[in-house]
Amino acid sequence: MAKLKAFTQEWMNAFRRRIADSKEYREIAGNWEGSVSIIINPDPARGVPETVYLFTDYWHGDVKDFLVCDKAKAESADFIMSGDYIRWKQIARKEIEATKALMQGKLKLKGNLVYVVRNVKTVNKVVDLLGEVDTLFPDD
Amino acid sequence: MPGGYTGLFLTVDLISGKISRFVLEEEFFRLHIGGSAVAARLFLDGFPLDCDPLSGANPLIISTGPMTGSAFPGTSRFSVCARSPLTGIWGESACGGTFGPELKRAGYDGLIITGRAPFPCYLRIEDGAAEIIEASEIWGKDIYETTDLLWSKHRSCRVLAIGPAGENLVRFASIGNDKGHFAGRTGLGAVMGAKNLKAIAVKGTGHPEKADKEGFKQALRSAAEEIRSSAFAGSLHAMGSDAGMDLGMMTGDVPIRNWTVGEDYDLSAALGGPALTEKYLVKAHACTHCPIACKRVVRVAEGPYRTEEGPGPEYETCCTFGTMIMNYDLAGVIKANELCNRYGMDTISCGSTVAMAMELFEKGLLSGRDTEGLDMAWGNMPAVFTLLGKIARREGFGGLLAEGSARAAERLGSAAAEASVHVKGLELPMHDPRAFHGMGLAYMVSNRGGCHLQHAVMGTEQGMVSWPQVFTMKDSYTGPESEDKAALVFHSENFGILGNSLAICHYVLYSLKPETVLKAFNVITGFGFGFSDLMVCGTRDWMLKRGINNLLGVTSRNDALPKRIMTALTEGAAAGSVPDTKKLLSEYYALRGLDKQGIPKEDRLRELGLDALNRRLAAVRAAEPVAKEEMKWQN
Repeated sequence: MAKLKAFTQEWMNAFRRRIADSKEYREIAGNWEGSVSIIINPDPARGVPETVYLFTDYWHGDVKDFLVCDKAKAESADFIMSGDYIRWKQIARKEIEATKALMQGKLKLKGNLVYVVRNVKTVNKVVDLLGEVDTLFPDD
Repeated sequence: MPGGYTGLFLTVDLISGKISRFVLEEEFFRLHIGGSAVAARLFLDGFPLDCDPLSGANPLIISTGPMTGSAFPGTSRFSVCARSPLTGIWGESACGGTFGPELKRAGYDGLIITGRAPFPCYLRIEDGAAEIIEASEIWGKDIYETTDLLWSKHRSCRVLAIGPAGENLVRFASIGNDKGHFAGRTGLGAVMGAKNLKAIAVKGTGHPEKADKEGFKQALRSAAEEIRSSAFAGSLHAMGSDAGMDLGMMTGDVPIRNWTVGEDYDLSAALGGPALTEKYLVKAHACTHCPIACKRVVRVAEGPYRTEEGPGPEYETCCTFGTMIMNYDLAGVIKANELCNRYGMDTISCGSTVAMAMELFEKGLLSGRDTEGLDMAWGNMPAVFTLLGKIARREGFGGLLAEGSARAAERLGSAAAEASVHVKGLELPMHDPRAFHGMGLAYMVSNRGGCHLQHAVMGTEQGMVSWPQVFTMKDSYTGPESEDKAALVFHSENFGILGNSLAICHYVLYSLKPETVLKAFNVITGFGFGFSDLMVCGTRDWMLKRGINNLLGVTSRNDALPKRIMTALTEGAAAGSVPDTKKLLSEYYALRGLDKQGIPKEDRLRELGLDALNRRLAAVRAAEPVAKEEMKWQN
């Protein structure tokens, strides 16, 4: 199967399916409710000419909207994670853990930190599933 | 005198009552910077190393750093040092709070207290003047009561005090500063107790000079912005140090049931930072000039473990009185923490010793008769609360545990030894080396025994920080692997140990760019150091303390992990993993410049200007290893 272009709606749909199909995710994420947006800073040299806004929504083990969106929609999310393109690529490729990237300041998080820590297993599982999407990155 | 220093140390002889001062010059500070590094050099040069730790001959050295009291974030710290009554080797414990900045304002970089007073006393220091005051009124009081009494007698003073545990020479007695801050590790409260010294009250109105005031303002602005945008600092502010428990459970970092179980998510859900925040947090509290405010003020409003509003438990305490003893009730942890605070006992060593007792009770190596009727079943908190009082007062069974887990296990027989989990007599902190092999090496070679704060390995190995601009390191490390860890530990020690000499909190160090810390140090002192200069000072500090320990009998045989840690877990993220200690130590010894006996090589000490130490170690090097008296606390 061909790789999916990163940050496209098709890629977001595949990401959503991965999560929806994960029995383990449903068990872990029973307490999670809230939307998470991902903001990817532009990096023209690596094929990301403009900021990318992605919106994902989770509800007690189920998944709702997964969208490539505009700035306003992204900023409406309960949690907003932002960072450079290269960091997101490293996370998706499991070269760096999202929690480490956050602690080192390579990613920024807006939202209730206590809630995120309480549900850190859920967060890590979502990132883990992201890594399973066969992705073609802009600079690949 | 360079900025950041007063250059003055106060010396107090409690036998004669003589109080005097001496001056340390800039050249000395350029070599040792401050804090415990300065204390180690003073200890080595001026005192009999093999003194009985609980005698007047053991000097209690309190030392600040050049950044202490500077208003830069995280620089309220000071170190308390002496030969440890718990381990018999170099002892030091760093503390935040208020005492360090106040001592600096009173005109001193540090204090040296020798002798044993003929009567219980406390020391009062105010703007350069000092006096020894009779203390029968406060002897026997707990740390909170003592602090309140001294606050009422000496308006606006800052207090360093021991509780009943220190008075009764409990080997893991702590020293409390203004109730909420503690020099906990290595039992230095007992050193104060052995001196009949109940407390020190200090007040000062001076302001330490800075070499470049405008540059300092810039460094402050940078630091404030970096802390504001740091997720690490944000999580500490929101949840305190216990913020790490939930993630720690996932990575295998959290010890459970006296280091025998690999994971239990019910424990982390019940005891982690979110639970502490949502159920019991009243407010965050900060050390002097710290915007992170990681300290917790908590209250248990109702139930059997009801406690008044007061200092809350750190992560380590949530483990030692939680996960380690299978207590799922956070209110019970808060109560145990309050009792340890009041009695003046290190919650790591104390809780670990209680965990050992519970394991031995379960295995039948301790009977109800041994425990004087206390049911030491896992998680039985009412029994724990009773036991804490007995330990502090050294009553019966409590007196045995007051010796610390290593001595207590030895007295209970060889079958008990495995349940005491320590390195060089110091009970391990709550980070499992089976999940992070670098931490295992750091425990083995730490100069105060098993310790997570004499270096920055937790930050670098777990990925909280990345400092490629300071030393060579990989982007990311895998915890339960030994590859590449010796170099990481070596460098993380040389840089991280500076926290105790610059006098800056590790949490702040992890939240800032190292360039900002370096700039702050330079604009305060005017030293014009680069990272390499700092790393040389860190190396010198490590070697100095190692040399002291070698002179006290430490050899390579003592650089070992306990059997419990070398037994793989069967579940959790660290399942099946144990550190490759042989590989780690051989690589580390080569980098550090230690010979096969674990003694610093001559050329390395010469490079560091430690010629006097070299000469004193000559006799140790010449001795046959087999003829050497072995350290008591071998694993």
